Amino acid sequence: MSEIGLLQTALLLGLYVALAGSYGLVYAIARLQETSILHRISFIIYGLHGLTAIAIIVWTPLQAGWKGLIVASSAAFLAIPPITWRFLQRTHETEVQG
Amino acid sequence: MSWWESGRRRFFYVFCAAVAVVAVVFIVVQYGSSSETTLWLINQGRKYVEAPRWAAIGVVVVMLVFAYNVIGTAYATRRITGITAVLMIDLVPLVILYLDAFPAISNMSADLFWWWWLVHLWVEATWEVLIGCIMAWTLMQLLGTSRRIVETWLYIEVALVLGTGILGLGHHYFWIGTPNYWLTIGGFFSALEPLPLLGMVIHAIYDAGTHHMTTTNRPSFYWMMAEAFGNFLGGGVWGFMITLPQVNLYAHGTQWTVSHGHFAFWGAYACGVLSVIYLAIQKTRGLAHLEGTLWKWSFAALNIGLVGMVGALLVSGFAQAFVERAIGGSTHEAFVAGQENRWFIEGMVTRLVFGLMFAAGYVALVWDLLTIGRRAPILAAVEAAE
Repeated sequence: MSEIGLLQTALLLGLYVALAGSYGLVYAIARLQETSILHRISFIIYGLHGLTAIAIIVWTPLQAGWKGLIVASSAAFLAIPPITWRFLQRTHETEVQG
Repeated sequence: MSWWESGRRRFFYVFCAAVAVVAVVFIVVQYGSSSETTLWLINQGRKYVEAPRWAAIGVVVVMLVFAYNVIGTAYATRRITGITAVLMIDLVPLVILYLDAFPAISNMSADLFWWWWLVHLWVEATWEVLIGCIMAWTLMQLLGTSRRIVETWLYIEVALVLGTGILGLGHHYFWIGTPNYWLTIGGFFSALEPLPLLGMVIHAIYDAGTHHMTTTNRPSFYWMMAEAFGNFLGGGVWGFMITLPQVNLYAHGTQWTVSHGHFAFWGAYACGVLSVIYLAIQKTRGLAHLEGTLWKWSFAALNIGLVGMVGALLVSGFAQAFVERAIGGSTHEAFVAGQENRWFIEGMVTRLVFGLMFAAGYVALVWDLLTIGRRAPILAAVEAAE
């Protein structure tokens, strides 16, 4: 790996997770406040996360297996906030009913 | 007060004094010869396990006393909740894995192989479960969340953290003479580690939002929120930058890893412990609510100071990985060139500046912890007035 490639790869990997976290954060706030604009912003952030994943796949010298893991992780990052939110709501609803 | 009660208090002060002695010896005695005597009295000579052998034995005794307290309390009340069950199961590896602090293996690869069982598995697996139990209890006390909900999440989060964390041990087996398959195992499971951390962030926002950020103990609540975000940033974002083997080859052992380690530890443990301390002050003193101004200053100074320090260390680490490793090829000359690099030096100076801010925040925190209880209204008095 070249010296510039090293910094590019590391920074892209950091940005990749930071954008996944930002997507989760804005998604949760959007659900909390029920605002469609925040919903849209959360998916724009996820789009940026997806672009970062593409940049990692295209530009970095990581091996194919790691690039596959990046794609799979992006799918998981997309699903985690809605699934977590739904599960949280359900456990709290059943508690209120119980 | 019973003999056992006063004895437990004495144990607490003995423990605090022992910690102070170990810290002072570690700071004052930095150089010298190593022998059987220094191993027992000064330093075991293994990084992160610096405590001399007498103190390490003391740590085992303290953990056994803690285990006795937890199991004894559950036995006396004839009641085992989900949280205490997880805690009691966790106490077994908590004690056993620490025994790994004692062997003195002269083969460096073999020593590091087992040493990581202590530094990773003990800290990142058993402590992670311990802090999970403590935070579950804190959530119940702080926000009134029901035990059933808290325990459901505790099981899920413990399963996810252990599922990714146990074999995540592999990312420490890079470049120490272990077989190559550890590169794949370590990289894969470490890459999964940010996933449960994202779930924790969502959970934190849900709790904060549904309670409209209102609580009778704001300092504890804010530190609990800081834990979720600090854990994600320090463990997830900072960790993911360096966890894949191709990047780790260059970043391993530089200030970059120091930056990640400090940020992750601060998020995962320090913030959680501070949250519990504020809650303990409220509970033990029977205070109606905890509020004030000083805790906000200490919260801001500590967090900004910490982020500034780890940011500065990150820049220094970049310079080291770039100049010393990638360009210089890890030779002695490259090491010197890395240490003399302008970015490296400025990063370390900036770390010092933010370190001073952190220290100021720490002084404010200690003062607040010592005095906030005296300033807050007593619950009984508030209820009588109402």
